[in-house]
Amino acid sequence: MSNSHETAHTKNKHLPRWGMVIDLNKCIGCHTCEITCKEQNDVPLGIWRSWVKEIEKGQYPNVVRSFRPTLCNHCDDPVCVKVCPVHASFRREDGIVMVDPHLCVGCRYCMSACPYEVRYLHPQKGILDKCDFCHFRVDKGLKPACVEACPTSARVFGDLHDADSEVSQLVARKPVQTLKADMGTEPHVYYIGLDQATMEIKREVELVWDK
Amino acid sequence: MGQIVYDVHYQTSLGFLISYYFYLTGLSAGSFMISTLSYGFGLEKFKPASKMGVVTAVLLLMLAPQFLLMQVAWPVKSLWHNFVYLNPLSAISYGAFLLVLYPLNSIIYGIFMFKENKKWTKFFGLIGIPLALAVHGYTGWILALGVARDYWNTGLMPIVFLFSAMVSGISMMILMIMIRDRFFTKEKKINREIIDGLAKILGWLLVVDLFLVFCDYSILLYSGQEGQEVAHFMLYGKMAFGFVVLENLIGKVIPLAIVMIPKLRNSYFLLVLAAIMNMVGILAMRIVTVYGGQALPLM
Repeated sequence: MSNSHETAHTKNKHLPRWGMVIDLNKCIGCHTCEITCKEQNDVPLGIWRSWVKEIEKGQYPNVVRSFRPTLCNHCDDPVCVKVCPVHASFRREDGIVMVDPHLCVGCRYCMSACPYEVRYLHPQKGILDKCDFCHFRVDKGLKPACVEACPTSARVFGDLHDADSEVSQLVARKPVQTLKADMGTEPHVYYIGLDQATMEIKREVELVWDK
Repeated sequence: MGQIVYDVHYQTSLGFLISYYFYLTGLSAGSFMISTLSYGFGLEKFKPASKMGVVTAVLLLMLAPQFLLMQVAWPVKSLWHNFVYLNPLSAISYGAFLLVLYPLNSIIYGIFMFKENKKWTKFFGLIGIPLALAVHGYTGWILALGVARDYWNTGLMPIVFLFSAMVSGISMMILMIMIRDRFFTKEKKINREIIDGLAKILGWLLVVDLFLVFCDYSILLYSGQEGQEVAHFMLYGKMAFGFVVLENLIGKVIPLAIVMIPKLRNSYFLLVLAAIMNMVGILAMRIVTVYGGQALPLM
């Protein structure tokens, strides 16, 4: 985290850096976060801002399921912001990566460049859309909808600049990892106990001419 | 290792429209190159192809951005947002300027050519070459800077795009010159010399193109997990017909054999066949690269 933004921010104590920790030891794979997100943000059919990928390992009766709740990683060095030709994708001072609906022209370049595949084209609005940590809730002092709804408190949201916050404590004390850290995007959604099998790429894929 | 029980469907971001756009700009850049051979570089034997080349280049480059506008969800907004809110880090920003400058320069170049003003034709022709290279090279950059995809994110991508553009442009010019000479001239006779010259250039460019594909794939097969997966997907998976058969066998290897073996090259029928096969193959290459390159979900 030796970003120039970061150092400027740490000096200003009042400026938060929002981040999330997802503890997969607590996750029961109930998909509540997924549903709540759809409801809160009015996400149309067929697309998701946040979802839970589910994997089954082993053979009956010795089976285990692992989950990977997925959402925008709100990177410090987001590829989507770099490649956007019209500055519609931007990163707020507090770290939330958002899309300006007035600027976006819907070219989908950011969608193909995002290593986490969390962006989608809104079918009605024709602009790119994605998880924005429920910025309207966060600005009012509330937690994002998925965090609020999680029945086992597996999702923890907070200010990473505040050393006493629960997220900072978890990141400092627990073995955490981020998705695709090798992409150099510096994601700010941390996972505890993430299963390798949930991150493998799919080999079976349906192409346009298969349908 | 694990069996996927639940995952969401991911939208395809860049589809066929982008492939067609890349294809048409490639044809345009290729025919522009041919038109500059005589006026820009003094290769007099290619003079009969010059006027046709520049007219085709301009027409194709008027058609090509229409596909871009169809792909973009807000076409009218994109026309001015790209200039007003431009992001110097994005390859598309530069494309917006190139797509204006290159046709303008080509039109001015064409006007001077039709007026037989050699000095200014050469001047604008030589300005046009870097513009033509840029207008097609930048499309390679667009893909190469889509860093999420290992198939795209290679330094070879702009060069691969340039060579495939020239190859398909020359094939199109060979076809057009043959049709014009055969049906729309008084003598009804094909100009053997220019067709032979273009076929030889086509052959050497195909050699370079195949070499670039070999470099790309040999390195991809040794790269990280995603790179290996996508290389297998292209070589043995669902894309194998598009990549191996259409793009490389039909599009490059067979035409290469036809234009490089003098006996086969002498047959007009085979030359026409080679040119058509090559144009089909390069279209397949655009679809394989754009659509196939992002077909595999990443996580």
